[in-house]
Amino acid sequence: MTKLVHDGTPEGIHAAVTGWLELNWTTEAERGANASDEGMRAWLTKVRDAGLATPSWPEEWFGLGISARKAGIIEKAFRARKAHGWGRDRFHLGAISVFKMGSEELKREVLPDLLAGPICCLLYSEPNAGSDLAGVRTRAEQDGDEFVVNGQKVWTSNAVEADYGMLLARTNWDVPKHKGLTFFLFPMRQDGVEIRPINQITGESEFNEVFITDARVPARYAIGEVSEGWKSFQTAIAYERLIMAQGGTERRGRQNEPTTPLLIDLARRKNRIDDTSLRQKIAQAIAYRQLNSLNNKRAKAEIAENGASSLMSLGKLAMSRIQHGDARVAAEVLGPEALLSGTPNPDAANASFDAAKAYMNSIGGGTDQIQRNIISERILGLPKDDAVDRDLPFKDVKTG
Amino acid sequence: MSTLSNEERQALCDMFERLLRDRASLESLRSVVAQPEKYDRSVWKELAELGLLSLMINEESDGIGGDAQDLQAIMEIAGRVLFPSPFLSTAVFAVELLQACKNDQLKQECLSDIAAGETIFAVSKGSSTGSWLDETKLSASKSSDTWSLNGVASYVVDAPRADEILVCANTSSGLRMFCVSASDADVQILETDDPSICLGNVSFEGVHAEILDDLDEAAIAHALNTTLVGFAAHQAGATHAIFEQTVEYLKTRYQFGRPIGSYQALKHMAADLLIEVESAITVSREAAAALANGKPNAAQLVSLAAFACADSFRDVSAAAIQLHGGIAYTMEHDAHLFWRHARAGQWLFGTSDQFREQYLQTWEDAA
Ligand SMILES: Cc1cc2nc3c(=O)[nH]c(=O)nc-3n(C[C@H](O)[C@H](O)[C@H](O)COP(=O)(O)OP(=O)(O)OC[C@H]3O[C@@H](n4cnc5c(N)ncnc54)[C@H](O)[C@@H]3O)c2cc1C
Repeated sequence: MTKLVHDGTPEGIHAAVTGWLELNWTTEAERGANASDEGMRAWLTKVRDAGLATPSWPEEWFGLGISARKAGIIEKAFRARKAHGWGRDRFHLGAISVFKMGSEELKREVLPDLLAGPICCLLYSEPNAGSDLAGVRTRAEQDGDEFVVNGQKVWTSNAVEADYGMLLARTNWDVPKHKGLTFFLFPMRQDGVEIRPINQITGESEFNEVFITDARVPARYAIGEVSEGWKSFQTAIAYERLIMAQGGTERRGRQNEPTTPLLIDLARRKNRIDDTSLRQKIAQAIAYRQLNSLNNKRAKAEIAENGASSLMSLGKLAMSRIQHGDARVAAEVLGPEALLSGTPNPDAANASFDAAKAYMNSIGGGTDQIQRNIISERILGLPKDDAVDRDLPFKDVKTG
Repeated sequence: MSTLSNEERQALCDMFERLLRDRASLESLRSVVAQPEKYDRSVWKELAELGLLSLMINEESDGIGGDAQDLQAIMEIAGRVLFPSPFLSTAVFAVELLQACKNDQLKQECLSDIAAGETIFAVSKGSSTGSWLDETKLSASKSSDTWSLNGVASYVVDAPRADEILVCANTSSGLRMFCVSASDADVQILETDDPSICLGNVSFEGVHAEILDDLDEAAIAHALNTTLVGFAAHQAGATHAIFEQTVEYLKTRYQFGRPIGSYQALKHMAADLLIEVESAITVSREAAAALANGKPNAAQLVSLAAFACADSFRDVSAAAIQLHGGIAYTMEHDAHLFWRHARAGQWLFGTSDQFREQYLQTWEDAA
C-alpha cells in the first residue's frame, strides 16, 4: 500500500495531495487512463491505494480516516487537475452501500474491485413499482448458496455500462410488502440479463429496461439480512437523494456556485441583461440556488455537531424548483430563439435539454410528491396516509 | 467580531427569551399596541437593566460589544412573538450610526441615554417611500456654522415615538446624516394596518440639525446592513413561529374523522413551506456571520436575506391563514397578526424587488 502521507491539517492535506497529483497525474497517466479500460483501471487502483478515492473512510477500508470537510480538499485538488477517481465515498452508491451495510466478508471480497472501476446501476423500479418500491415483483429464490432471480426492471440508468446492479427483489411473498425484500449486489455481466436501452426526452439514452431470467447472485452478496432488505435499501436511497440535493442530476459543466451564474452570462450574451423584469427572475433563480447551497452547508454543520440534520431531506425537493426554474428563465432570456435546436443553436439546445433534464430530479430517486410525503411525515410528524396494502401478505396485494 | 463567547451569547438569549415569555408574550401584544406608543415602556426599562439595549454598543462606550450574529440570535427570538418595540431603530440602527461618527459629545450622550432606555431614536433615509433604496428627498443647507433641513421624510419607522431622529439629507458634498430633535420637526402619526409597527411622516422646515461628522455613505450602508440582518432575523423567527403553530393545528384539527394534516393536499403545502422556513433561518444566520466576520460576500448575503426572509414570511403567514380555515379569519386568532406584519415587511426598509435587483448587481460586480 502506498497511502498518501499527510499531517492531518487542511494545509498539510492540500500540500500532500497536490504533490501526489504532480508526481502521478502526468500527461502519460492521463493519456493512459483515457485510452482504455485497463488504463483507467490502473489509474483508479493507484488512487484507491493512496486512500484518495474514499478519504473519509477509515484507513483499514481504503480511506485516510479524515473528516468529510478535509476530504473535500482532496476532491478540489483532483478537480482542479481534471484527474479521475475522486469522491467515491460520496458518489459511488454501490461501494457506499456495501461499505456501510455489507458483511465484513462481502466488503473484503468486492470493495477492492468496486473502487477500482466498475460502476453500479440501481435495479429498483419496475413497470408496476415506481414510487411504491416496496411493491417490487422481481423474484429471488434460494438455491443452495445462490439465489435465482427472475423479473423485469425499468428506468435503470447506466445498465449497459454497469458491472453490478443494486437489486431490490422479493424473497418472501407470504408477508407484508416491506418485510419480504432482499437487497443484493447483483452481477450484471451474465447470461439471463438482457438490457434494452430506452430513448429519453433529453435525447439521451442512459436508462434501460432490464429483463432478468434465471440469473444468479451468490447468497453472500445480500446487503443486510435476507428479507430485511427494505432497511438497507432505505439507507442507499437516502444517499442517492443527498447527491441529487446538491445538483447531481444537472447538465455537466454546471457548478454549484460558479463565479458568474450561467443565467447572467446568457443574458449578457443575448443583450437582455438590462430587461428589468428578466433581472428579477434571474435574481430569484440565483437566489434559490444559493439558498439551497446555504441550507446544505448548515445541514453539514448540524451533522458535524449532532450527527443528524432534518435539513438534509429538503435539498432534493428544493433542487427541483431550482432546475425547472432555471430552465424556464433561460428560455425567457432566449426569447423565440428558444424554439430552435441542434448544433447551430447551442444556447437553445442547452435550454431545451436542461428543461427536460430537470425532470430527472423531480421524478428520479423518488418524485417530488413522494419527497413531500416524506418531509411532512418524517420531519413534520404529520399523520401517514392510510395504506390499504400495508399489512396484507404481498401475494394478496392488488396491482395495476 | 463579537466580544461575546458562544456561552455568553446563549445566556443573553435565554435571558431575553425569559423576559419575553414573562412580559411580552403574544397574548399581551394586542393590549400593548393599543397604547398610543405601541410598546411597553416597563419592558423597555427592563431591557435597559439587563443590558440588552447596549448589545451593539462597543465596550469602550460601556456596551456589550455584540456583533451581527449576536443581534441575529436576539432578533430571531423577538420575531417569534412579534415583539413590538423601537429596538431596531434605537439600539441597532442609531447605535451603529452614532458609533461611526466623530461627534464625541453627541455620541457619548446619546449612547448612554440609549443604554439607559431614556431616548428613543428613529432613523430615516429621507425618501418619499421609506425605502432605503430610494433616493433622499430631504436637503440640508449650512449658514454660518449651523445646518438646517428642509423637506419631508415619509413612512419613517418609529418617528411618532422618537425623541431624536437621524435622517439623511442631500448636501453640496453628497449624502450626509443629521441628528434632529423630534420636537423640532413636525411629526404626523400614520395609522397602520400592521398594529405592531409605528410609522410617521416627518416634515422639516428649516429645522436646525447637527451633522454627523465623518459618516460617509459606506458607513451608512454598513449600519443599514446590520439593521437589515436584524430585521431579516426577526422575520425568520416570526416565520418559524407561525409555521410551528400551523403544523400543530394540522395535527389536532379533525375533519371527516381524521386529522386534517393527514390530507396530502395540506401535507404537501406544509413540506413546501418548510423549505421557506428553513431557508429564511439559514440565510439570516449566514448574512449575520458574513457581516460579523467582514466577509467579502457580506453585502450579497444581506440583500439575499432581505428579500428571501421577507418573501418567506409573506408566503408562510399567508398560507397559515388558509391552512387554519375560518378560525384564522377572526381577529382573535394570532395568524393575521403575523400576516399583517409580513405584509408590512414588504415595505419597511425596501421592497423585495429592490433587494433582488441589488442582489443581482452584487453578482454582476463580482464577475
Ligand atoms: C432520469 C431518470 C432516471 C432514473 N433512474 C433510475 C434507476 O437508475 N434505477 C431505478 O430503479 N429507477 C430509476 N428511475 C425511476 C424512478 O425512480 C421512478 O420513475 C420514480 O420513482 C417514479 O416511479 P414511476 O415512474 O413508476 O411513477 P409513479 O409511481 O407511477 O408515479 C406517477 C405519478 O403519481 C405520483 N404518485 C405516486 N405515488 C404517490 C403518492 N403516494 N402520493 C402522491 N403522489 C404519488 C407521482 O409523484 C407521479 O406524479 C429513474 C427515473 C428517471 C426519470
